Amino acid sequence: MKENMPSALAFIFLFLNISLLNGQSPPGKPEIHKCRSPDKETFTCWWNPGTDGGLPTNYSLTYSKEGEKTTHECPDYKTSGPNSCFFSKQYTSIWKIYVITVNATNQMGSSASDPLYVDVTYIVEPEPPRNLTLEVKQLKDKKTYLWIKWSPPTITDVKTGWFTMEYEIRLKSEEADEWETHFTGQQTHFKVFDLYPGQKYFVQTRCKPDHGYWSRWGQENSIEIPNDFTLKNTTVWIIVAVLSAVICLIMVWAVVLKGYSMMTCIFPPVPGPKIKGFDTHLLEKGKSEELLTALGCQDFPPTSDSEDLLVEFLEVDDNEDVQLMPSHSKEYPGQGVKPTHLDPDNDSGHGSYDSHSLLSEKCEEPQVYPPAFHIPEIIEKPENPEENIPPTQDAQSSIPYFHADVSKSSTWPLLPGQHMTRSPYHSIADVCKLAGGPVDTLASFLNKTGRNVLKCSKTLETEEEKIAGQEKKKSFHSETKQNTSWPLLQENLPVVYAKPPDYVEIHKVNKDGILSLFPKQKENDQAEKPGVPETSKEYAKVSGVMDDNILVLVPDSRAQNTALFGESAKKAPPSLEQNQSEKDLASFAATSSNCRLQLGRLDYLDPTCFTHSFH
Amino acid sequence: MNSQGSDRKAVTLLLLVMSNLLFCQNAHPLPICPGGNCQMPLQELFDRVIMLSHYIYMLSADMFIELDKQYAQDHEFIAKAISDCPTSSLATPEGKEEAQQVPPEVLLNLILSLVHSWNDPLFQLVTEVDGIHEASDAIISRAKEIGEQNKRLLEGIEKILGQAYPEAKGNEIYSVWSQFPSLQGVDEESRDLAIYNKVRCLRRDSHKVDNYLKLLRCRVVHNNNC
Repeated sequence: MKENMPSALAFIFLFLNISLLNGQSPPGKPEIHKCRSPDKETFTCWWNPGTDGGLPTNYSLTYSKEGEKTTHECPDYKTSGPNSCFFSKQYTSIWKIYVITVNATNQMGSSASDPLYVDVTYIVEPEPPRNLTLEVKQLKDKKTYLWIKWSPPTITDVKTGWFTMEYEIRLKSEEADEWETHFTGQQTHFKVFDLYPGQKYFVQTRCKPDHGYWSRWGQENSIEIPNDFTLKNTTVWIIVAVLSAVICLIMVWAVVLKGYSMMTCIFPPVPGPKIKGFDTHLLEKGKSEELLTALGCQDFPPTSDSEDLLVEFLEVDDNEDVQLMPSHSKEYPGQGVKPTHLDPDNDSGHGSYDSHSLLSEKCEEPQVYPPAFHIPEIIEKPENPEENIPPTQDAQSSIPYFHADVSKSSTWPLLPGQHMTRSPYHSIADVCKLAGGPVDTLASFLNKTGRNVLKCSKTLETEEEKIAGQEKKKSFHSETKQNTSWPLLQENLPVVYAKPPDYVEIHKVNKDGILSLFPKQKENDQAEKPGVPETSKEYAKVSGVMDDNILVLVPDSRAQNTALFGESAKKAPPSLEQNQSEKDLASFAATSSNCRLQLGRLDYLDPTCFTHSFH
Repeated sequence: MNSQGSDRKAVTLLLLVMSNLLFCQNAHPLPICPGGNCQMPLQELFDRVIMLSHYIYMLSADMFIELDKQYAQDHEFIAKAISDCPTSSLATPEGKEEAQQVPPEVLLNLILSLVHSWNDPLFQLVTEVDGIHEASDAIISRAKEIGEQNKRLLEGIEKILGQAYPEAKGNEIYSVWSQFPSLQGVDEESRDLAIYNKVRCLRRDSHKVDNYLKLLRCRVVHNNNC
């Protein structure tokens, strides 16, 4: 017996070893992992099988109900799939606890799972809703919305109220990343507003019992929101297009304007020479009488003695920077001299002078102002009525010109040094200059130095007394008119600084061949106006004084003007009592074309021609 | 002279009394209702009642979940704890078909009984749980709230009965509360088991009430076409 014990044990161990070597073992412990009821009337339990121990294993589910002692087996292993147990209606009791256990059995042994205490009341998880429909609808005010509709899952009894269901929908556009979820309560429809037209939207629904678990998300449905171009939209677009067109037009217009102003800055317009009161249109028309009356001539050719005087208008031009040069110097004004800078926008007769130099120098630097240069020449002739006539503009003055020590100062041209003392002009001018000081522009000069002008005029008047005693006085005028012309002239001189060229009227040429001048009365009133009226288009310059009593006048502008002058010169000579002056004028007229120099838009007559001719 | 004065006094007194009686009768004026029918619509009443029952269930469910956290994996404990609910003696329908076969007024009376039967146990629960469990505060607050809401629920159901089934009013079945034993002088484990069972039963009964009322609403108000 005792001898059999060890052998029996050995056999047992051997048997176990063999079975172990074969990999067979009792099954592992199964586990019930989920029980669910879709409608509160049936339920299903699923389990996870444990290891099967290498042998075919049977699983069985047993349960017992609360309050019952007996144990029952699962009525249906098939309906819900493998490893499941389905409890149909007759086997399902609500408000009762089920104690469920799963047994795994194989050849080697069996194992049982832990019991699960289940109350069907609390394990309700429905199926997802069905019949999901999407529709795009419109409200009365053309607002579109998405109308979503669905039905509860088939098996749940919602109608009797046994099952109370709550729903939830979610939607997202095709491009969006996240869903937008909405709780809808117990209703089976929903409206979604403010969706983007032209986009595709996906919608899903799910449901939940009043006390239970949410179902999974139902089948996805999609719909595309149509683009609605209503009339309102097109109207808006039309308005937008019109506005943008208007804005574009405004911008183009602004650019054009600006461009024009820029062009004018770069290439400033060169005004033609003008004489105040001279209307070229009248000239074109050929109505010389009207033209001359416009100029202030009366009954030209003069019919009376008093009208025998040649009436001309001289443009007295004041330049901003007059360079003094010796009278004999024949330098071309525009050459070798730095042009004074003048206000390019000052399109006066004065400006006409400037513009030529502007053209050459592009309005940068002070220019030598040609015109007044005549004065020094006049002044040089010792005795004489240099002062009588304000310098005519002559581009190519052989007349010395004055150089203002400050650029842009439109002062009366001065003779420096010696010359200054020579004539009242200069002294006056000097005084004026001193009084006035440098000015940038004619206008500013005019405005600022009004007083100075007055002073100058006063000084001129004082000077006049001196002058009166001199030959010049007599050379000017014997008449009171003539007497007054000088002071008037003198008065005008400073004025001339301040504004565009002033005009003096040749009142008459007396028997001595003396031109009596007096300023055109209009000019006085226009003292404040820097701009020359555009009608004045003709200038006459004093090219020189001959024989102490001959004033050489030179028209300086266009051919018409010269022609006119020539004409008037021709006419004038008869009125002139001077033979020489007659000749001179004739020669002047004759040589005007020869001597005319054209600088830019302006015509200037070279006084040297005339001097020759006169001599 | 005296008799005249006394007569006058008697008359005035009588008049005063008469007027008082008349006024007293009119102390509770009749409500002004169209057609003399001062009633809230039945659907409105059911909706309000169901809101209360739903809320009460949520409270009891939360209470159970709090308590169950402690014993989640303790199968033995749970096995021991589960015992008959005290209200199981009430013949409440145990399924949909049963419930639909019960007449509405009977079901309403059942609901009344069920809710009534929980007044005392709830009160007991508050005293029993106090200071013992970890989740005692949560349980106590909810228990008190359920007690409050139950009263309002009872009022609502009685109103429905009075309006829809006035003849069945007063047929409530009183019973039950004697089934819960007192927990004093009991050991800790037994106490815990008893508490667990009580809370489990409360949750179930709340669910029953809620479900019955929802059934009734669809049946009475919407004619089984919810």
